Amino acid sequence: MNNLELESLLKRARLPEVPGESLEMFPRRVIAGLKRNVPLHPAAPSRFRFLAWAGGLAACLLMALAIGHWHGRREKETMPPDILASAKLVHEMLAMFPNRVRAIVEDAQGVNLVLSQDENVPPYALLYVRLCDGQHCSSFVTFSGQEIQVAGQKVTALADGQGGIIVTGNQFVWSSTEGIYAGNHLTIHAKTLGPAAM
Amino acid sequence: MAGADDESKLIERSLSGDPEAYAALVNRHQHMVRAVAFRMTGSFDDSEELAQEAFVRAYKQLGSFGGASKFSTWLCKIVINLSLDWRRRESRRAGIHASWAVEAMSEQGPDGGFPDELSRRVQVALDRLPVKQRAAIVLTIYENQSHAEAARTLGCAEATISWRVFAARQKLKRLLKDLPHEQP
Repeated sequence: MNNLELESLLKRARLPEVPGESLEMFPRRVIAGLKRNVPLHPAAPSRFRFLAWAGGLAACLLMALAIGHWHGRREKETMPPDILASAKLVHEMLAMFPNRVRAIVEDAQGVNLVLSQDENVPPYALLYVRLCDGQHCSSFVTFSGQEIQVAGQKVTALADGQGGIIVTGNQFVWSSTEGIYAGNHLTIHAKTLGPAAM
Repeated sequence: MAGADDESKLIERSLSGDPEAYAALVNRHQHMVRAVAFRMTGSFDDSEELAQEAFVRAYKQLGSFGGASKFSTWLCKIVINLSLDWRRRESRRAGIHASWAVEAMSEQGPDGGFPDELSRRVQVALDRLPVKQRAAIVLTIYENQSHAEAARTLGCAEATISWRVFAARQKLKRLLKDLPHEQP
């Protein structure tokens, strides 16, 4: 079954018939529900509502500042959780495209899957890497040896035989074991997610 | 389109507190709202309740409807997000997420009230999708939204919608492979 056939099949599916009486009564039931729950002037502004809204906004701003401050400090010390840190989720994604996933990248735009045209991606060690430049973070899961575009540059992550990870980009080199970092202002974390479960 | 101006007037009158105007809006859009709610819940009773809740929510937020999108699109966003919240509440409360839809359907009789077997099988298959994948299918297939529109409705990236649609299609093809299908 191809996508068009599936779409046609789904669209042929009809819903249970709604009794005519129910259709007729429904608007009345909604209005009755409104009269119970809401004053019938949805947009009517009031001083109290404005003050509550302004107070809430101020509280949110304060909270956002506090969280931003806390998060900024925390970023330097620990790896914040993100979607790709979930090995289960990653393995589910990999299982859907056997030998085709070059990387799963998560950045400000969301989660993106980088696929190979053919089933030719060697299932070497599966690596998780997170790059932060102080303002933005990108993380990705890839197989050792794949070169991918992330954080505005081409990046390759490599696993060595002793469990260490080397990450190289156009503008930096980083090693988990040697404590080497030659490059610009990136903070890098990396770990092995184990062999790919295909 | 017959009624676009008329609809604006109904919205204005509703905003000024005219219940008859809002009842007319409800009447005009109830089929779409009920359909989305049913596709998301698989239960007639729950979809009725959700549809009613959606219209109450829409009324409360009517002042924020700026006309940037169609009123039906705005309503659809409300009902789909309510469905997602409802699903989370239900699964937390009962802990029977997986079997829930089947039970709900059996309450409506052996055929679930569907007009034919194909319709019933499709809904059973939709119920077996993860809820966010189901929402992506409901919006893109049944509500004819583009991936970009569905992304705005669900508040996520377009790529995320594409991924969910892809994953949902794979699963639906497996679940429905024995049904007769034809080239559209």
